Amino acid sequence: MHPLRKQRIYAITAVLIGTSVALILVLNALSKNMNLFYSPTEIIEGVVKNDSLIRAGGMVKEGSIIKSSNSLEVSFVITDFKNSVIVVYEGILPDLFAENAGVVVQGRLGVDGNFLASEVLAKHDENYMPPEVYKILEKQNDS
Amino acid sequence: MIPEIGHILLIAALVVSFVGSVLPFFDLASKKSYSQSYIKPFSIFLFLLIFFSFLTLIYSFLVDDFSLTYVAENSNTLLPNYFKFAATWGAHEGSLVLWTLCISLWLVAFIYSKKEVDNAFTSVTFGIMSQVIFAFLIFTLLTSNPFERLLPFSPMQGSDLNPSLQDFAFTIHPPLLYMGYSGLALPFSLAVAAMMTNNIESSWARTSRPWSLLSCSFLTLGIGLGSWWAYYELGWGGWWFWDPVENAAFVPWLISIALFHSLIVTEKRGLFKNWSLLLSILSFAASLLGTFLVRSGVLTSVHAFALDPERGLFILGIFAFFIIGSLVIYSLKNYKLSPTSIYDLTSKEFGFLLNNLLLVVLAVSIMFGTLFPILYEAYTQGKQVSVGPPYFNFLIMPFAIGLGLLQGVGLYLGWGQTKNFSFVSRVAIEASVLFIFINIVLYLLFGKFNSSAVIASLLFAWIVAGNFLDIIIRGFQANKLRVFISARLGMIFAHTGIAFLVLGIGVVSSFSSEKELILGPGDSYDLEGYSFKFEEINFQKGPNYSAQVAKINITDQEDTLTLISEKRNYTASNQTTTEAGIIAEVFKDYYVALGENVSNDNWSFRLQIKPFVRWIWFGALLVAIGGFISSLGHLRKGS
Repeated sequence: MHPLRKQRIYAITAVLIGTSVALILVLNALSKNMNLFYSPTEIIEGVVKNDSLIRAGGMVKEGSIIKSSNSLEVSFVITDFKNSVIVVYEGILPDLFAENAGVVVQGRLGVDGNFLASEVLAKHDENYMPPEVYKILEKQNDS
Repeated sequence: MIPEIGHILLIAALVVSFVGSVLPFFDLASKKSYSQSYIKPFSIFLFLLIFFSFLTLIYSFLVDDFSLTYVAENSNTLLPNYFKFAATWGAHEGSLVLWTLCISLWLVAFIYSKKEVDNAFTSVTFGIMSQVIFAFLIFTLLTSNPFERLLPFSPMQGSDLNPSLQDFAFTIHPPLLYMGYSGLALPFSLAVAAMMTNNIESSWARTSRPWSLLSCSFLTLGIGLGSWWAYYELGWGGWWFWDPVENAAFVPWLISIALFHSLIVTEKRGLFKNWSLLLSILSFAASLLGTFLVRSGVLTSVHAFALDPERGLFILGIFAFFIIGSLVIYSLKNYKLSPTSIYDLTSKEFGFLLNNLLLVVLAVSIMFGTLFPILYEAYTQGKQVSVGPPYFNFLIMPFAIGLGLLQGVGLYLGWGQTKNFSFVSRVAIEASVLFIFINIVLYLLFGKFNSSAVIASLLFAWIVAGNFLDIIIRGFQANKLRVFISARLGMIFAHTGIAFLVLGIGVVSSFSSEKELILGPGDSYDLEGYSFKFEEINFQKGPNYSAQVAKINITDQEDTLTLISEKRNYTASNQTTTEAGIIAEVFKDYYVALGENVSNDNWSFRLQIKPFVRWIWFGALLVAIGGFISSLGHLRKGS
């Protein structure tokens, strides 16, 4: 075979193998690590499959934050002003967590319908509304 | 008055950059060279206009001119002067001016690296760079003017700089990052100019290589600083979050690494020309896309400034113009492909090909994961989704292993084909000794093994053996140590830096320990044999904040170390920040973040021990130093 052609075959084979392995990896990783986002209304309506890792978001309802006095357990209510869901979390809350502020939580839905959060997401800016929450609130306004 | 001068200077820069954007192309079309003698003064003039405009903005911050919307939103009379200065690039408008300033600085550096501007290649490069500057200036002036007045009712007090940005690392992180981002415009301009002037054969790759490496080095520093900042400022002890904005800097970084490696082959062997051209376009595309992601708010990110579709669309327009435009030129260029040499599977060329393949496929996969939420939302009509860190962590592993393995032996492969394989056993022996030594140390430190740490230490040993140990040993044997090292100094630094980075990541993600708990004054907790004792907490006032300051004593067998951890409340914005207390040692960090007041004097704490975390930033620093040594060396030789 002409050496130049051989060289091209090497290069093309390497690229094909490389990209197809990467494609398999990407699809595999994506299917396992994709977290769908739900609004409180969607959670109440029961569209969430049990025991999958999901995200939820909304505004933290005024007066709903209940903190334990001897452990790091905390619960609060997130709302899209139509429906509300109780979120239970154990750990230190981010600095910007507050009543009447937007929040995004990651975790699973418990059998009792409460959201068991493994992570409460922090944002840099006090005025800043998480885009997901902004979108669901907008949706509520439209309907 | 001063801000108006700044505004006018910026408009003048717009006019100058417009002239610079068109003149070289008239010359090119008419095959003349009128503009060439003007290019040197032109580029320095353009730089000075933007520079002085930027100075007026800094001045407005220093004198608290709250009649400017931008100053009023990002500063405050109580802000210390140093942070007033840095607040200039604290938000969108000012950072855009800084971006433009950086790119005009690159232009000046490039033009003045030439003794004489005497060819169409250089003048067309100048023209493309001017176009990029023009695009960003018009974007700044139309959508994000920092000199906009808030009249007649200007506030007496500003609403303050975001407290988490009131920090040393923040003040230098953006300028370095923008130097890196905007620097990628230069290899891009060089590639387009090379295609337009049919200069692919000779000087293009040699010219482009040090510049692409230089901007990659700035990116390395910028990203490293950002990671360090996030680590101590956010209070989570994390140093990388796979946040969209981090990815937006990481992807151009990967592609620029691929680019200058590919340029080596193009320069030395005349191969991979098309690929190098394409990568030059791709790296600037990644840089623009990064800017778009940061500025438009299309993605959920801790960095997102605000939802602003107008700005997003504008950047998308700039992106389309430059990238589609350059791709059209790329596809239209018609010269014959004439490979000057043949290579086989054992050759250095093939090694570089694999290096590029891994880097670019990794970059694309990360970009895909980052953009997937947008695609998904469009496809499902509004269903929202996020792609978590496990996706990226899982994905990067095989690529990192592949790249590390190549990196250990790449140096010894021969151009065309490798004839002598004696290096394999040499490097393998050196690496094994090093590997065993490190694992004994790790075992003594942590008392157990962990698979990721073992893999990381294997890569570390392999890379250090191939890029450092073997060079030293062979240099000694040949009695030419200085020659051996000086010829490869930049590469030794950069590749060894990667090894440190990999080992740091492997160890810190395997052996970190963390505990969140409540402590009262006098209580202590035992974490991994270290006793953390909460001594006392006091109220203190800073210049523009008040703070609860906790004192924690950490005791191992004999020594006691004292650490201060703060919770600050910034007066102007009523915003709370966590100032983690950190004691940094070579092999570990003690990290204590103060939570909140639970009851009486009891506070929640996050206690952490982060082994080898410093090695990550030390590694990044070495990579950047290596990049600077190598690129500046080539630039000096080239001129």
